[in-house]
Amino acid sequence: MGMSSLSRRSLIKRGLVGGAVLAVGGAGFLASRGTRRGKPPPRPLSVLSEDEHAVMQAIAARVVLPGAGAPPLDDTAWNVDQILTAVDPSAVKEVKQVLGLFESALAGFLFGGRVTPFTRMEPEEQDRVLREWQQSRLLVRRTGFSALKTLALAGYYGSSATWPYLGYPGPPIAFNDPGAPVWKGGGQPRPDSPGVFKEEEAEGTFPDADIAEKHAP
Amino acid sequence: MSDGARVGRVFTGDELTRDSEVQAEVCIVGSGSGGGVLAHELAARGLDVVLLEEGGYHTRREFKMDEAWSYPNLYQEMANRGTDDLAIKIFQGRSVGGGTTINWTTCFRTPPRITQVWREKHGLQALTDEALRPHFEAVEHRLHIHQWPLEQINANNKVLWDGCEKLGLHHKLIRRNVHKCANLGYCGVGCPVDAKQSMLVTYIPDAVEKGLRVYANASARRLELSGSRVSAVHAEIRDPATDKPKGVKLVVRAKVVAVCGGAINSPALLLRSGLDQGGRVGRRTFLHPTVVSVAMFDEEIAAYSGAPQSVYSHQWIQRGPGKIGWFTETAPIHPVLATVSFAGFGADHRDLVQKLPHLNALVSSQNDGMLPDETGATVKLRGGGDGRLSISYDLRPEHFEAARASQEAMARIQLAAGARKVITLHESPVVIESEKDLAKLDSARWERLRIRFFSAHQMGGCPMGADPERSVVTPELRFRGVDNLFVVDGSIFPTSLGVNPQQTIFGLAHWGAQFVAAAVA
Repeated sequence: MGMSSLSRRSLIKRGLVGGAVLAVGGAGFLASRGTRRGKPPPRPLSVLSEDEHAVMQAIAARVVLPGAGAPPLDDTAWNVDQILTAVDPSAVKEVKQVLGLFESALAGFLFGGRVTPFTRMEPEEQDRVLREWQQSRLLVRRTGFSALKTLALAGYYGSSATWPYLGYPGPPIAFNDPGAPVWKGGGQPRPDSPGVFKEEEAEGTFPDADIAEKHAP
Repeated sequence: MSDGARVGRVFTGDELTRDSEVQAEVCIVGSGSGGGVLAHELAARGLDVVLLEEGGYHTRREFKMDEAWSYPNLYQEMANRGTDDLAIKIFQGRSVGGGTTINWTTCFRTPPRITQVWREKHGLQALTDEALRPHFEAVEHRLHIHQWPLEQINANNKVLWDGCEKLGLHHKLIRRNVHKCANLGYCGVGCPVDAKQSMLVTYIPDAVEKGLRVYANASARRLELSGSRVSAVHAEIRDPATDKPKGVKLVVRAKVVAVCGGAINSPALLLRSGLDQGGRVGRRTFLHPTVVSVAMFDEEIAAYSGAPQSVYSHQWIQRGPGKIGWFTETAPIHPVLATVSFAGFGADHRDLVQKLPHLNALVSSQNDGMLPDETGATVKLRGGGDGRLSISYDLRPEHFEAARASQEAMARIQLAAGARKVITLHESPVVIESEKDLAKLDSARWERLRIRFFSAHQMGGCPMGADPERSVVTPELRFRGVDNLFVVDGSIFPTSLGVNPQQTIFGLAHWGAQFVAAAVA
């Protein structure tokens, strides 16, 4: 659930890095230093390239920074890829642009004088770059940061494997009845249901102390 | 025309395999607080009604209280709707029942000071509290709306209650639309025991028993116009498994059409149909911009458990000329919602989320749209018009002033209730451990995306009013310039409400049904 809608106009058109970057993009030594891929994705990717997956994974590692007892990060960027399959294609395109800019040594050079792709940096340097985006004077960079951060967190914490780590006991699943009938009308009578308050019923009892008491923690 | 033999039915996208055309007296688009009540009130009058819902037909068997399932299935844009710049995150429902399937069950009648503004400034003379009362009473009865008892409020709401008591601030118990509520705390992801009296389990099935036909997974794309009338509603059927269009079309030909997609989606459908009312459709959309104050307690709060909202404070709802008022309530803390919302990254973020069971959250929502210069959000189509919408909100200094003041007010309440520390949702979080730390709020930066805003209430965009130059629908909810088109949902509000909006929408739909019914004749 992490996807976010970036600005209507693409980030590049908004002047995020300006025409200069596009003009020289791919030229010179800055562009020759490729993305460092970590572990390959656990399953085939649907939306992201392997490089984009690696950048997302590198961002997630610093944003989530799993502590003791945390489940592994391995699936995070792959989960993000799955989230993106359900997102409007125009938004996916913008996410890919931000991932590209995040990684790009050239963009990094123009923004902050750094010449190393994000995936090749030491963790402290990566944090500095993340903070640059997070605290930027340019709203559009803060928007980009917000989108990537949200994706990384959703990709990680969207998994119930993180619940024990958070101290979250999980939902009281016994209250769900997976076999509850689905009523579609068609002349069939409506089935009973725990809370259903039929139209013809008069005043109920207030408050509904009985059922709540039974299940008080 | 009454026909006792009419058989109602809920159809879902998997059942619709070929293009089809259906006739009805009324076609309603959207099954939330507006469309649900309206569908019932029309069916109860014996009218032949078709209700289209873009989202799926999800019922309690699927409500396993897991955010990872609920956000993609029950929320607009998988709960990732937001303004274009992401400064305001927008939570809005999308399934049969709309927002009522996933809201936190908080009910208020429309505040009299709001209906007074609507009468005096927007020419809505008919909207007196007297006139609305029977409609509110009817929905309160059907939806079992009643005050939640103090002895059952959860620890998260107890923080607000206790803090306000200690500081002598206004605070009251909330009225909720629940019946046999088990006090689980999962209203926001679909009630597993049908205790929430949403449209999904009340007015919609009641109406189906009276002959209503519901088409779920049916996304209305365009209203077809012939002269000054809507001659058809064109919908595309989506595959319930993938939520992608399956290439099947549904055309509804009805005497009268009521657009009930809610603020944001109703304006979007009208705009896609070329109906922009001189540029007014989609403007003046109000969101109750909301800031959050998180507090850490030594004891367990378990803010994921128990009725999510049961206490409110209206201490600051009216703050005098030039200032934006706000209302303060609580928010439940579930893992995905919390982790993606909390500020910062790395160690700061991690150390906070690991305290999840010990966290409390208060929220302050701004009563936007009351100041003369406020324009709120503007909803527009992008490029081709069929994809994402553009939503841009004009956040003004007054909104940031109210955000700062409400953040201080919430921190005081939380400290008074015994919080160890209070944390704002600034990207560089402000941490407040005692009263003297409150001054830190002055040095924090109050700008977009440096402080997080949320919206759980979407209002306006098709405002009702007497002045054709300032409104989109008439005081009888008829879309200006089109004879058989109505708008009946939160988008008709001329301003925001300053209270949670569902009951106002219920009441206005219950009241407005008379105009829609009269247009059928």
